[in-house]
Amino acid sequence: MADEIDAILLEEAMFNLEQLTKSCQVTREWVIEHVQGGLLHNDDFIHVDPESWIFDSRTFMRVKRIIAIERDFECNAELASLVADMIEEIEHLRTRLKTAGLHQD
Amino acid sequence: MEFKDYYKALGVSRDATADEIKKAFRRLARKYHPDVSKEADAEQKMKEVNEAYTVLSDTEKRAAYDQLGQGGGFQAGGDFRPPPGWDTGFEFSGRGFNGAQTGDFSDFFAELFGKHMGSARQTQHRMRGEDHHAKILLDLEDSYHGATRGLTLRMPKLDSQGHTVLTEHTLNVRIPKGVYTGQVIRLAGQGGPGHAGEAAGDLFLEVRFKPHNRYRIENKDIYAALPVTPWEAALGATVKAPLPDGIVEVRVPENSQSGRKLRLKGRGIPAQTPGDLYLVLEVVLPSAATEKARELYQTMARELAFNPRQHLGV
Repeated sequence: MADEIDAILLEEAMFNLEQLTKSCQVTREWVIEHVQGGLLHNDDFIHVDPESWIFDSRTFMRVKRIIAIERDFECNAELASLVADMIEEIEHLRTRLKTAGLHQD
Repeated sequence: MEFKDYYKALGVSRDATADEIKKAFRRLARKYHPDVSKEADAEQKMKEVNEAYTVLSDTEKRAAYDQLGQGGGFQAGGDFRPPPGWDTGFEFSGRGFNGAQTGDFSDFFAELFGKHMGSARQTQHRMRGEDHHAKILLDLEDSYHGATRGLTLRMPKLDSQGHTVLTEHTLNVRIPKGVYTGQVIRLAGQGGPGHAGEAAGDLFLEVRFKPHNRYRIENKDIYAALPVTPWEAALGATVKAPLPDGIVEVRVPENSQSGRKLRLKGRGIPAQTPGDLYLVLEVVLPSAATEKARELYQTMARELAFNPRQHLGV
């Protein structure tokens, strides 16, 4: 008999800085540098105390994506962020194409 | 257990230099990048490539693996067991797992390097377990009604000899209503085990919808085609439309054309702020197969001054 467990939906706000670093296995400095460089698209955080930052699902996915690109290709943060921008744009366009019935999975 | 040929996985020779291995890894990481790749099994391939690179990019792991391979592993094919004490004399300092997660690795990897997984951490520190990350594919209907889904996880566990083995663990997960693509759901305590009595990590699942033959999904909004007759479109009508949460009656405004969108506010994904549902009208013509139908079309042709190509200047 398998266990039954409740899934918790992370709607809008989900993670503070400490939880994000722990879950994605990055340092505080990594996150702070990426936020201050505008690479996580959280520009409204730049002049705010990092302790009060709250990250949503979208940023969480973006952080994971950028970490993987930086690691796999040993590239700098700006390039990884540019690749992530393009991947996200492709995802958005594919969704639009599907909505228009022009894209098959 | 199958002996994994990591050199084959990366497409390099057994005497490849560290630089050649790195280049091969990057080429394949690009080819099988799960967000971009058009290969059907890109995600699985990427896991294999990651595993091969984790071993071959680490001098100690590679040396131990080579010794095992030359001792018969490379020829073993289907059924392979490492001889006892095969790793004597090697120290795996464990430069980590190249960021990938233990659950992503094969039984072969777990058997060989498993007992060294995170060993540096396990010895001294009290530490909460790692969070794990995965994806879950849901049907659109699951988001409307909530659902219970079986999920099989591979968790590293210590056996009686202190080796780490990957064991399969099945969970029934109650999915809350209102989830949509790109969101993340958390299963508390289902990540990696904690060390020295600390709590286990969490499992995070990125939600994706399976393609649906009737509905197209854009964030929280849903699009569906609604076929209507020419007279319903021209004169206006109230028609029935099936939605993911039941049948509704909608009013088609008069003078509608194919492509017109009717918005049903709040009938999209039932999230905290619900999405909208759009019905896209599709005017369907009755065939002119009967005498009566031909007569009616001929009457329209005669009596309606209608040129749909007027704006094209012809």
